[in-house]
Amino acid sequence: MSANLAGDVTMRYVDLHPQAPGDGVPVLLLHGFGTDFGMNWRAAGWAQALETAGRRVIGPDLRGHGTSDKPTDSALYLPEHFVADLLAMLDESGVDKVDVVGYSMGSRLAWELASTAPERVRRVVLGGFGTKNAFAGTDLSDPGSGDTPFDTVYRTVAALPGNDAAALAACARGQAARPFEAEPPLTGIPLMVVSGARDALAEGAAELAERCGGTHVEIPGRDHANAVSSRAFRQAVLDFLAG
Amino acid sequence: MAQENFTFTLPDLGEGLVEATVLEWQVAVGDVVERNAPLVEVETTKSAVVIPSPKAGRIAELHAEEEQVVPVGEPLVTFEVEAADEPQAGIVGRVPAEEARPARRVRLRPPSD
Repeated sequence: MSANLAGDVTMRYVDLHPQAPGDGVPVLLLHGFGTDFGMNWRAAGWAQALETAGRRVIGPDLRGHGTSDKPTDSALYLPEHFVADLLAMLDESGVDKVDVVGYSMGSRLAWELASTAPERVRRVVLGGFGTKNAFAGTDLSDPGSGDTPFDTVYRTVAALPGNDAAALAACARGQAARPFEAEPPLTGIPLMVVSGARDALAEGAAELAERCGGTHVEIPGRDHANAVSSRAFRQAVLDFLAG
Repeated sequence: MAQENFTFTLPDLGEGLVEATVLEWQVAVGDVVERNAPLVEVETTKSAVVIPSPKAGRIAELHAEEEQVVPVGEPLVTFEVEAADEPQAGIVGRVPAEEARPARRVRLRPPSD
């Protein structure tokens, strides 16, 4: 399935229905920079865990990623473009409201979605994310050339088969053009922030949760790359979304 | 019911990866697991993944400690599974061990021009 969107960029997504439906509110999973639904969520055990819990899963490959179109113009990667993609997809799917779970860049976009269209979001989980500017110190005219945490992430994902390094660089520049602001805080929607204890890109996760009146869950021993597959993370989210 | 052991080796995780690090076992020795249930969480240089169980059975042995690096093709876990050639309870008569294969229509000679 796919949604055709502004600027002729097509975003593709999966819509997975459980065999025995439980909660009627689908879970929208937003992957991180340079990955896609399959790698970030499905391979990490999330599709199966949510299906077992009776939850419908909507999993887009965000623009510039996976099976979706990959423009190389950074002006097409502003947060509002991603939000427009997601709202068009929900409209097309006839979904009024979702629980949204993001990881890394996907968390930033989950925040933007919940801020822009709070009536479409029941609960929000921000994984691998905090108040720190993810691009701090990175030369975005040549991402991957330095030794910041983001340079390291960029080098890893730019080399993955199927990824377009130019599109990813454009995506990073588009995201950085609208630096994340934790003000005003996201209130009125139950919020949980989850981060690995060794995640250098999620500094300020606890503070972000506190500002929004939410909860923070720390995954011991995990970093930005391996917190997402941890059983403790999945279980915390399942409990939060069911509560 | 007859039991047999089945040892599952670390599968090829793609992209030329030759090894993975065991992060966390999702099962313990003695557990009875379903096919496709989460088995073990591993990390490669590219990503972290949860490998689903390829079999239903009882966990007999885990071949790697957490944080241990396992090469592709090396033993990961041994299951005790029900032997495949035993008749299943509740079925009267013989169950063919192998389903009759559907006839395939294959053109053996290239069409002449």
